[in-house]
Amino acid sequence: MKRTISLLLAVLLATSLVACGGGGGGTQGGGGGSTTTETYELALITDLGTIDDKSFNQGSWEGLVKYANENNISHKYYQPTEQSDDAYLAAIDLAVTGGAKLIVTPGFLFEVPVYAAQEIYPDVMFVLIDGTPHDATYSDFTIAPNTAGVTYAEEQAGFLAGYAAVKDGYTKLGFMGGMAVPAVVRFGYGFVQGCDYAAAELGLAQGSVTVNYHYTGEFAATPEAVAMAASWYNDGIEVIFACGGALGNSVMAAAETAETKVIGVDVDQSGESPTVITSAMKGLQPSVYDCVKAFYDGAFPGGEHLVFAADNDGVGIAIETAKFETFTEADYNEIYAKLVDNSISIVGDVDASGGSVALEDIPVTIVTATEIKS
Amino acid sequence: MSVIYFLVQQTMFFSIPLLIVALGGLFSERSGVVNIALEGIMVIGAFAGILFISLVQPALPGQPVLILAIVLSMLVGGIVSIAHAYAAIHMKADQVISGTAINMFAPAFAIYTARMIRTVQQIPFVNQFRIPSVPILGKMPILGQLFFTNTYITTFIGFGILALSWVLLYKTKFGLRLRACGEHPQAAESVGINVYKMRYIGVAISGMLAGLGGLVYVIPTSTNFNATVSGYGFLALAVLIFGQWKPLGVLASAFFFGLLKAVSSTYSGFEFLRALGLPGYTYKIMPYLVTLLALTFTSKNTQGPKSAGVPYDKSSS
Repeated sequence: MKRTISLLLAVLLATSLVACGGGGGGTQGGGGGSTTTETYELALITDLGTIDDKSFNQGSWEGLVKYANENNISHKYYQPTEQSDDAYLAAIDLAVTGGAKLIVTPGFLFEVPVYAAQEIYPDVMFVLIDGTPHDATYSDFTIAPNTAGVTYAEEQAGFLAGYAAVKDGYTKLGFMGGMAVPAVVRFGYGFVQGCDYAAAELGLAQGSVTVNYHYTGEFAATPEAVAMAASWYNDGIEVIFACGGALGNSVMAAAETAETKVIGVDVDQSGESPTVITSAMKGLQPSVYDCVKAFYDGAFPGGEHLVFAADNDGVGIAIETAKFETFTEADYNEIYAKLVDNSISIVGDVDASGGSVALEDIPVTIVTATEIKS
Repeated sequence: MSVIYFLVQQTMFFSIPLLIVALGGLFSERSGVVNIALEGIMVIGAFAGILFISLVQPALPGQPVLILAIVLSMLVGGIVSIAHAYAAIHMKADQVISGTAINMFAPAFAIYTARMIRTVQQIPFVNQFRIPSVPILGKMPILGQLFFTNTYITTFIGFGILALSWVLLYKTKFGLRLRACGEHPQAAESVGINVYKMRYIGVAISGMLAGLGGLVYVIPTSTNFNATVSGYGFLALAVLIFGQWKPLGVLASAFFFGLLKAVSSTYSGFEFLRALGLPGYTYKIMPYLVTLLALTFTSKNTQGPKSAGVPYDKSSS
């Protein structure tokens, strides 16, 4: 009931906002005729949050701006009026009207809007960060020749974070994910395996490293999430890998109270709280840069699913801002090299035959991972 | 023992906002106006307070900001509740309708205004308000650990409001008059009490407390405000009924709910609860299931103010 009401209000609000914007700007709708005075070749549509969100928007935008400034190309970002497929499509439309030749859409929430947009605007290139275009019912996964889907080997980033933490002496760890979506699951499974790998190297006894494993059910900061993180810390857990947008803020709030540690996600989150010892990062900036560059070099990877991993600098952990006691940058480079040459195999969210993997099926020898089901 | 300290501290975070808001509802209903708008007023109050904190914090950090935000939240909550009071008292409208209108209006207003000011609907703030240990009191054995460490100024304000409410309702002329208006307004009028005025005051107090409750709810538990208080206003109504419209009853039921809420979010941190292997939903259902059951079995003996929800009309008495 409340949901319906808030939904209704949101729609009302959005339409009124669009109405205002349309009246003022005059770029939308059937007006047509008049040519806009300025055009912007490169565009980015922001996901939830602002352009300076220290996360997806900012990381992707920096990559775009870097190339644009190097080559003196006009660029602009557009902010949708709200988080909905329609509003995202409207923002894409605005960008196309504004002369965009390539549009970067950061975040999996763009999967459905880009699926639609790639057909509506066949002459415009789309770079979909962290997702694969699909229709609203997850039945069709067509990726058009004007779209490049970029995903990351999150399991490697998670692996590195877990490895570093255990190497640094942590033995009681936690993983809190937002929802069990593939990217989060890969982070989590990688994290557990990284812990295990480090524990094996250190020759620790079986069961001496534990990982509490839980999905809270939403990518939001809630009192319940704070209380849960606080209870884990109270139970002796030393560090929690918080993997789910604003959920991280809840975990950080709990960590600040308990004077314990957090591992951030996606981008370097060390600026958000002094409790963040490192972050499992996706190389947003280099991957966007690469895609934009490829476009201008005439080699746009349209219709392809690109995976950015350790071997093309697509994942990593924040090492310069890290607050480790004993784990050094040299240690990091050593383990990173092993990922680059693929000498460590990490199990992701699906196995070779495409079936989903359960936490119990992850090959670990020393770490005890306990899933707390919700 | 540390488990108990921890659980009490967590319970406080959930209980104090419920206590404050339910006491607000108590004033309104005791004066004869049902205030179903508590949820909406909480949202508006939290919105005003958090926005203020977010804007002023860079210039003026620390506890003074919180105090000012509290005053602002109460003020704004009071103002919004006057709209409800006007509809319910002067216009003799159905009190559920005007309350619902405020509940629908509040989150939309908060989102719209936040967007106008900051382009996004979330309002971030830095929580600098936690008190790791109250000087002197925090050092007390047991009690210090339970009540005076890892706490907020708002916790003590909550208990202060409780004490004040009790005194006001049962030990002053004003309290007696307010209660009379909720029981039998015609009788009150006949001895010269201005029923309209008493009801306006009752609703305004409820608005102020609900606004404060919204702020108190958001601060310890989040790092941003996203136009919601997750149904705590409605839960406070349940607390009010469960507490039988009496301050001490409200205290007991607020802590009962708070404890259940705390356990439902923290069970995974306790060895013995984890060992039971029950799915998390079992604990999450608990507060609501218990509310339902408790209300089912106690509602027969429920003693609400007799005239709550009935508009008072001078001419038809």
